[in-house]
Amino acid sequence: MGENNTIWIEKYRPATLNDVVGQREIVERLKNYVGAQSLPHLLFTGTAGIGKTTSAVALAREFFGENWQVNFRELNASDERGIDVVRNQIKQFARTAPIGNATFKILFLDEADALTNDAQSALRRTMENYAHTCRFILSCNYSSKIIDPIQSRCAIYRFKPLDREAITEELKRIAKNEGLTISEAAMDAIIYVAQGDMRKAINALQGAAIINADISEDMIYEITSTAKPDEILELLHIILKGNFEAAENTLNELTVKRGIAPNELINQFYRTLVNDTTLDRRLKVELISHLGEADFRISEGADQNIQMEALMARCVLSAVNHGSTK
Amino acid sequence: MQDWVEKYRPKSLADIIGNKDCLRRMIEWARDWKPGVPPLLLYGKPGVGKTSSAYALANDMNWEVVELNASDQRTKGIIERVAGATATTMSLLGSQRKLLLLDEADNLHGTADMGGARAIIGVIKSSQQPIILIANDKYGVAKEIKALCELLQFRALQARSIVPHLKYLCSAENKTCNDNALMQIAESAGGDMRAAVNMLFAAGSGADTVSEESVSTAAKDQRSSIFELVGGILRGGADRRLMEMSYDLSDTPDTVEQWVEGALPQIKNPRDRTEAYGYLAQSDLYLGRTYLRQYYTLWKYATALMVIGTAAAAGGQGVTGNIMPPARWNRMAGAKKKKLVRQSVLIKAAFAYHMPENTLRDEYLKAFGMIADKDPLSFAKELSLDGDELDYIIDDKVRSAEVMKEIKREEKEQEKKEKAAQKAAEKARKSEKTVRIQDLAKATKTEKPEQPEKPDLNEPAESSVSIGSAASKSADEPENSEKVGKSAEKKPSETQSTLFSF
Repeated sequence: MGENNTIWIEKYRPATLNDVVGQREIVERLKNYVGAQSLPHLLFTGTAGIGKTTSAVALAREFFGENWQVNFRELNASDERGIDVVRNQIKQFARTAPIGNATFKILFLDEADALTNDAQSALRRTMENYAHTCRFILSCNYSSKIIDPIQSRCAIYRFKPLDREAITEELKRIAKNEGLTISEAAMDAIIYVAQGDMRKAINALQGAAIINADISEDMIYEITSTAKPDEILELLHIILKGNFEAAENTLNELTVKRGIAPNELINQFYRTLVNDTTLDRRLKVELISHLGEADFRISEGADQNIQMEALMARCVLSAVNHGSTK
Repeated sequence: MQDWVEKYRPKSLADIIGNKDCLRRMIEWARDWKPGVPPLLLYGKPGVGKTSSAYALANDMNWEVVELNASDQRTKGIIERVAGATATTMSLLGSQRKLLLLDEADNLHGTADMGGARAIIGVIKSSQQPIILIANDKYGVAKEIKALCELLQFRALQARSIVPHLKYLCSAENKTCNDNALMQIAESAGGDMRAAVNMLFAAGSGADTVSEESVSTAAKDQRSSIFELVGGILRGGADRRLMEMSYDLSDTPDTVEQWVEGALPQIKNPRDRTEAYGYLAQSDLYLGRTYLRQYYTLWKYATALMVIGTAAAAGGQGVTGNIMPPARWNRMAGAKKKKLVRQSVLIKAAFAYHMPENTLRDEYLKAFGMIADKDPLSFAKELSLDGDELDYIIDDKVRSAEVMKEIKREEKEQEKKEKAAQKAAEKARKSEKTVRIQDLAKATKTEKPEQPEKPDLNEPAESSVSIGSAASKSADEPENSEKVGKSAEKKPSETQSTLFSF
């Protein structure tokens, strides 16, 4: 544990595989490699903040002990993409002998799915040619973007988004250490905001802790610029009643006064709709489609306010047409 | 300690699993190899034993291996320096041969490998050493290279032939194993031995037993069943459950989309069916936007529309037919080939007519098609097209085949002429005092680097001498050197006969 880090996501980054939460099966496998002192190439897939990098670093520490930093190298493929990275940088690291008692080095290539196909092709033989001095751990969001020949060369580990228990466990540990109290509602809020992403969760906690050691629900929503799920539900009900003025007012309240980004609002609205069990399916799909359209237009550079207002108008019309306003 | 893929990489062809016909052919090829015998091009999916076979063969034959692959900068100069030196010179150890291994022969595209294909052609034509090329995709290999090689296809391995090998590895590593676990590995490997061994290694390292439980986390990539999802859509499962299933799939939304597409005809009511296709089409729009803009946030709308929307349209009617892999995949395999053919046509034409590929495709290709239609033979020769490429342009398989026949016939005629010239040259040479051809070739190479473009019928003695050096420079003039290379086969001075046998 890095004691001197001011940023908690570093300070509380697990140093050993045992401390990695929520990926028990994967951690057990990885520990076996350490026990056997052998390692194939690995491919870690999964969304952000669920332990891919942490596991790779912890694995390197356990393999190399003291010397881990010289025998471990982290490259981010989306920073330094392209075939020349593979041909030069990676080879440079891979070809030289490991230091200390280690029999190989570990190269961690984050966001490997950002590598072009050409670069991936070059990587695949490098992986084999230098296997005696270097093992590769590739990390990516979507394994489908990694070319088959590389998948074939790796043991693949699919990291799952962290569940409620995993995040709760970790946050409680941090809270204890930092002298914080987290209310039940505040914990729910963090879990809602984080969506299975530990990095987001810890960051939200640290942000709130600056305000007060007593962490409340409101602080979490405030610090992350997120609307409360109840507020989104309220907006949905207003729309279903067909009241455009009220919908527009609520929208302004959330975006202008509270500073919630339209993108974030759309995303939250989407989550609410998908999890809803009461709405007519066709109406639900229609509303989701409106959200997607607005999201797309905003991403293309359209004016956020106009698109959001138009979104409200469209949603209200759909509600009226489906007779939900009666 | 090594990982098992390297540790148990087969040393001898006898240890290789599957593809016995290919292995037999490789042995024959190696045993009978002499300069001029065409190189082998091994192609097939990853992990089916192409590279391993090549190394095992070299080991069996006691050949040294010199390997080049895409991770080396494959510019023309480098290939010629490394491979050229290997290919044209004899090994210092006398009769021992060197096997030149060109891996990833289908990865020569792009500016980084500029001129690489041409250099390989040059090396193949001038090589005094055996060459094996390896590729995943036959269609990714330049046609000019393919024409010079003997093609051997390596097929995906059956799960039942993978299992015994896994068993062997377990016993070699002193691990007990569960048969079901091994079968599970073999099946999820999808015919890829390397993936299977990797999975076994992942499941077995650090433990004494390979159990079913340990396999499930180590599997190539777990997939929850797409059948469940598509069935759920038709049966009208709860939205949330359906969405969860779709998150859980390892398939990307565009794959799921095609499965859903395949299931929609099961909705028989025309109104419902139209509605379902409407949602799918909308979903597809979001997929397109996602990829076009690289804005992955939009993926979720695509998923929601194709899952919840189509479920709404199906109205819980239930499954009335088989849920099958998309029929389009078969068509897509064809489309992939077509795309590659188009690409190679574009590259050739863009080069020949000095214009960007995009401009060519958008504005000129159609006109070229009509022009080519008038005189396909000249057009095909001008761009040195193969049958598929010509067919792509004039859209007429039969005629394209005829044109190719005609080109072959002309080539043969040309070859005959060359041979006649060669014979005449030999006669003339024999009548002269005996000077070793190779020495002479060397001498002439240094004395007069400029060689005549074609062996000339009127100067028999000259042309026979030029063979050796022309062949080694052939990279720059593939058209011409092919003929020269072929005639070189007949040279009586190749004394390095193969003495190996199995």
